[in-house]
Amino acid sequence: MIRVDYFEGARIALRSLGANRLRTLLTTGGIAVGVATLLAIVGIIQGLNASFDRQLATMGTNSLYVAKRKFGAGQDEWQEARTRKDVTTEQLQAVRAECTYCSAVAPNLWFQGDVSFLGSTITAVQLIGTTEEYIDVSSYRMAKGRFLTYADDADQKSVVVLAADIAESLFPSSDPIGATVRIDEHPFRVVGTLEKRGKFMDANWDKAVVIPLRTLRQYWGAGKSLVLIVGVDSAANMDRAVDQLTGIMRRARKTPADRPDDFAINRPDQLLDLYNKLTSGLYKVIVGIGLITLIVGGIGIMNIMLVSVRERTREIGIRRALGARRRTIILQFLMEAAAVSGVGGAIGTATGLSAAKIISMITPLAADVQVLTAVYGVLFAAAVGLIFGIWPAARAANLDPVEALRYE
Amino acid sequence: MLISLQGITRHFVVGGETVKALQGVSFTVEKGEWVAIIGQSGSGKSTLMNVLGCLDTPTAGSYSLNGHDVQRLDDDALATIRNREIGFIFQTFQLLPRETALSNVELPLVYRGLRPRERRERARRALDQVQLSNRTHHRPNELSGGQRQRVAIARALVTEPSLLLADEPTGNLDSATGEEIIRLFEQLHQAGHTICLVTHEPKLAARCPRAIRLSDGLIVADGPGREVALGEAPARVAS
Repeated sequence: MIRVDYFEGARIALRSLGANRLRTLLTTGGIAVGVATLLAIVGIIQGLNASFDRQLATMGTNSLYVAKRKFGAGQDEWQEARTRKDVTTEQLQAVRAECTYCSAVAPNLWFQGDVSFLGSTITAVQLIGTTEEYIDVSSYRMAKGRFLTYADDADQKSVVVLAADIAESLFPSSDPIGATVRIDEHPFRVVGTLEKRGKFMDANWDKAVVIPLRTLRQYWGAGKSLVLIVGVDSAANMDRAVDQLTGIMRRARKTPADRPDDFAINRPDQLLDLYNKLTSGLYKVIVGIGLITLIVGGIGIMNIMLVSVRERTREIGIRRALGARRRTIILQFLMEAAAVSGVGGAIGTATGLSAAKIISMITPLAADVQVLTAVYGVLFAAAVGLIFGIWPAARAANLDPVEALRYE
Repeated sequence: MLISLQGITRHFVVGGETVKALQGVSFTVEKGEWVAIIGQSGSGKSTLMNVLGCLDTPTAGSYSLNGHDVQRLDDDALATIRNREIGFIFQTFQLLPRETALSNVELPLVYRGLRPRERRERARRALDQVQLSNRTHHRPNELSGGQRQRVAIARALVTEPSLLLADEPTGNLDSATGEEIIRLFEQLHQAGHTICLVTHEPKLAARCPRAIRLSDGLIVADGPGREVALGEAPARVAS
């Protein structure tokens, strides 16, 4: 008997949907729009997260960043950090000498400048002043030539290693090695080029040039505080390295014992926390908006189901008189709702996935929809149909057969 | 004894006032009888018909149909009784407009849980019985009034019910077509079917072997059709 209920329910539902094609189409459309919106939003969020993970990897996985201030510091911390002493070459020496968990330590100092060669100029290029160790602690890899050496730094040589975008733009067809480029009018000899490294947030690692730290200071001034990039020998020693570095830095900076650290040891995974803190609230809001769209679609289903129940009052009366039980009538209408929302969900999933793809092609936003998300989308749509279908279906089943038969 | 009603009352509350549609109706019907239920509009005959058809439950009293104590049954069981024991024939035919004659006749068998092949076979036979075997794939709007009512009768017969319940079956038909339908009822009666026929037409009731007259929710006459319907002889008033 139960088998008959399902089978007959499905048959009646399909027939009724077929008989009201335009209405079915519009209602299905409502659900499809809801699911598509939700999936596109989720796809973009997942894409952004994945892209952030990739960007984070460009920081180097086993790297610590010893600096004056914490990455992603709040306003108060920022104000306080401005009064701190700079991180200096002496502290760099101390870390190099004393840190036992460190495989390599490289200083970093940044300026911006214009780089030109034979009349073509690239403006606002990141000038990275550093030493030989940088190639080991960063995720840069050599493409051609060589990296900086101790001698380059010690003798303040005017040599430069070009990041991928700079090398490509200034030397589209010729070999850059040995050529002389001008950085803010100072001549530099190109000794090597780097492979592509990618972007971190709005910073393009590939629009950069790497020169010896002392050369940088000679031309552009002593500048700001250094950032020490520390390569830790293994991932397991990260915490120990942080403790050891804290001690070394406090001694080197003569931080009084009763004062908190006046420097920060930054880990790339801190940035992940910061990113999650910044975005999770926003993501909840936009997913909420997507859900509302879907609920509006669900209300559309409820509305159309109520109309359908009213229109078919007499039919319900006839079916009840001929022996249909309440359950059979409920199933009939629920299946109608589930069919509309299921088909809507499938169309919406396809549309949403395509929309996410298109968005990622025409905008800088990345999109990445996982299969599981799509499955959830369809299931969620079907659930919406059932939830919003229950009330109209129950109304249909609870009609008094005598009244229903008399209904005009 | 197929039907036994004892002290059936049915009260409706409409806008705060209680309408007493049935005020204590008792009678019995034997297997194979053909009984007309007549009365003015408002006499309670439609309410009685709904009670007999298990579409409505009485306020008080007991109703037994083919051995089932109907007033004790829940909604699902009532649906089963309607499906197995009763064949409805309505004034307005009550066919599903989008379904063919055959599907309409099959419908009660769907709710009985029969397999499609057997449903179709039995529906064909029922349509045969009402001489409509050449109209199986027509929809109601492609059929005449008389043909539609015959489809409805086929639908009532297909479950082989113990009781045929007809509510003004000729009310929407012209007199010639109505006559055809009445002849069909006579044949069904001769074939042994039990029929309850609700009507306000004395001429129609007069052709039934037995008639019950209702007035203000009470039985005022019960006897041979001619006598009760046309008042030719003093009617026996029910106790």
